[in-house]
This record gives sequence, structure tokens and C-alpha cells, in this order.
Amino acid sequence: MGLFNRIFKIGQAEAHSIVEKLEDPIKLTEQGIRDLKKDLDNSLQALAEVKAACIRSKRDLESSKNQSKSYESKAILLIQKAERSEISIEDADRLASEALSLKATIDEDIIRNQNDCSMFDKNISQLDANVMKLRSTITKYENELKTLKARSRVSEATKKLNKSMTNIDGSGTIAMLEKMKDKVAQNEALAEAYGDIAGQPSSVDDEINSVLNTSNSGSDALAALKAKLVK
Amino acid sequence: MGLFDFFKKKSEPTYDITNIDVTDLKLGFIFDYELTSWEVTEVYKYDWGDDCFSSEYKIFDGSRTLFLGIEEDDEIYLTITQKLKISAIGDNITDVIVKNERPPSKIRYNGIDYHLESESPGYFNKEGSEQWAEFISWNYEDKEGEEVLNIERWGDFDFEASVGKYIEEYEISNILPKGK
Repeated sequence: MGLFNRIFKIGQAEAHSIVEKLEDPIKLTEQGIRDLKKDLDNSLQALAEVKAACIRSKRDLESSKNQSKSYESKAILLIQKAERSEISIEDADRLASEALSLKATIDEDIIRNQNDCSMFDKNISQLDANVMKLRSTITKYENELKTLKARSRVSEATKKLNKSMTNIDGSGTIAMLEKMKDKVAQNEALAEAYGDIAGQPSSVDDEINSVLNTSNSGSDALAALKAKLVK
Repeated sequence: MGLFDFFKKKSEPTYDITNIDVTDLKLGFIFDYELTSWEVTEVYKYDWGDDCFSSEYKIFDGSRTLFLGIEEDDEIYLTITQKLKISAIGDNITDVIVKNERPPSKIRYNGIDYHLESESPGYFNKEGSEQWAEFISWNYEDKEGEEVLNIERWGDFDFEASVGKYIEEYEISNILPKGK
């Protein structure tokens, strides 16, 4: 392999790697679903067009059938009139023939309309099948996207959690806790020491006063109790 | 397609393409009802006052013309009706309305007893027109609340009537947007 070829291959590999990093499967799926929905919209509109054409064809068929019946009735009436001698047989035959010839033309329309209707029905079935297929594909993709999104959220959350777990500075935190414990212990010891110091008399006078006060308060209480008993 | 058409904002459909329902119906839409495809050929709006509106769609299946009424009030009420000659209700029904300014509270038509449920004055508009016409509508229902009959007065001596039934939303299916 030539040098340039190798460089080109490296470039190609790097480009693919960048594009792959840029690709977001969720966004790509969402775009895919949007495209499919556009296709579905077009298919539904095409189906609507065919159905509308079928409805119009049925309307034409009904109208042609009525016209055909009407010409047939007219031909019968003409013959009946001739039988009742209300018009000449020649006139009746001529007019009745014309009416029947018009009926024949309309009957051709009826056949054409019927063929159109069957053709439209066939097209409708085909389009319906396509639409159903497209619909089920969209539903399938939408459900898959939901699952994909949920999985993505869970994996993101897990990733974050695991990252925070790994980011915990174990030694640092423990050291801080130890430091804190030491500090608390020191403070407690200091408080105890202060307490002891506060409890000790600072001079001989204090000691005397302390003894006197204690005994006084005791004798005062005794005197009060005795007074209470006398009463 | 012009050079700058690419940059034009494409108009998005106003409906969810995977789930078009009766409230999305527009002129030219097609749907299935009673195993037949129906095309919406005209759209009417009714203004009943107090921000209360309802819609009606003239529908055609190639041989029959019916009317699909849609009223949204907490839930959706759908009716399928067909025009009826006012004289079919009773020979002197119009005289009674003119004389009493309202129709009788009970009407018997086609073997069914209809009872007057409501009297609603309102305005009517045909889609595509700027004009709103004033009218008054009397709505009747049978005892079970399944069959409906309406009488409308559009002028001093201009009456219309229709008869039909309530239907469920699921009875309207395969709604398709208008073809291009």
C-alpha cells in the first residue's frame, strides 16, 4: 500500500469516527419516523383521491342507470301509445328505436363506470394494504423509540451515578472525616478540661466560702423544713 | 419547484397522521361509515352563543347524501341525519309553529314518538362564506335518547327538518385527508 493510500485510509477512518460520534440514534430514529409519517400522509391522500374517484364513479353509475331506465320506460310508453293508436306505429317505432339507441349508449357508460368502480376497488385494496403496512411500521418504530429513549435515560442516569461514585475522592473524604473526628475529640477534651478547671477553687478564700456557702444553704434548708413541721 | 421553494416553510398537517379523528374532518376528507366510503362535500358551522359552537358535514357516498353533526360538550356527540320534508312530520306543523311561535312538544314520525328537548337560537355559516344566517332550531329525541329529529326556522315561513340518530365515534373509521 502506497504512502498516500495509507494517509487517505487514516483520514477516512478518522472521519468515520467523528461522524459516528456525532450520530445520535434517538434523533436519527425520530427523523426516520417523521419521514415515514410524511410517506403515510402522501399515501393517505392518494388513497383518499382514489376513494373520491370511486364515489364519483358510483354517482355516475347511479345516474347512468336511472337514465337508462328512463329511456327504456319512454320506449315502452311510445309502443303502448301506438298500441292505443294515439300515435302512428311508424312514429312510435322510430322514436322508440332512438330511445333504445340512446339507452344502448348509456348502457356502455354503465359498463365503463362499473369497470372503473371495480378498478378503483382493486386500487383501494392495494393502497389500503400499503397504508396498513406503513402504519404498523410507524407504530413499531415509535414503540421501539419509546423503549430506546427509556433505556437511554436509564443508562444516562446510571452513567452519571457511576461517574459520581468513581469521582468520590475516597481518601480525601475519609481523611476529612478523620480530621473532623480528631477535632471533635479535641474539643470534647478541651471542654472537659475547662469543666475540671472551673470546678476547682482558685484560692483559699474561695475554698472557705465554698464550704461555708454549702453548709449555710444546707442549714437554711433544714431550718425551713423544721419551721414547716412546727406549723 | 423553484430555487427558493426549498427554503419555504412546509405547511404541516393539522392532524396526527397516525390518528385522525372526527374532530379533524375537513372539506374533501373521506371516511367509512356503515361499510361505505363517504366524502365530505360541505362544511357548516353553528354558533349557539356563549362560545358554544358545533359543526355539521354534508357527506356523499355516490348515491346518498347525509349530514354528520359533531358537538363537543365534555364529550363528543355525533349524529347522522338526513333531510326531511317538513310536511312529512305533519300537515299543519308549520301553521302550529307560526301560530304558537314554537312546534308541539311531542311529534310522532315514522312510528317513533319524539319529545322536544331544546330550543336553540343560533347562527349558521357555510365554510367558505362570510355570511352567518340567523335561525332557530328545535331538537327532539325519542325516549331512549337514540333517535333525533330537528326542525329549523329560517324565516317567517321558511322551515327545514331532518331526522336521524346518535352514533358512536368508533362507527366513523378510516378517516383520510383530502387528496391533492
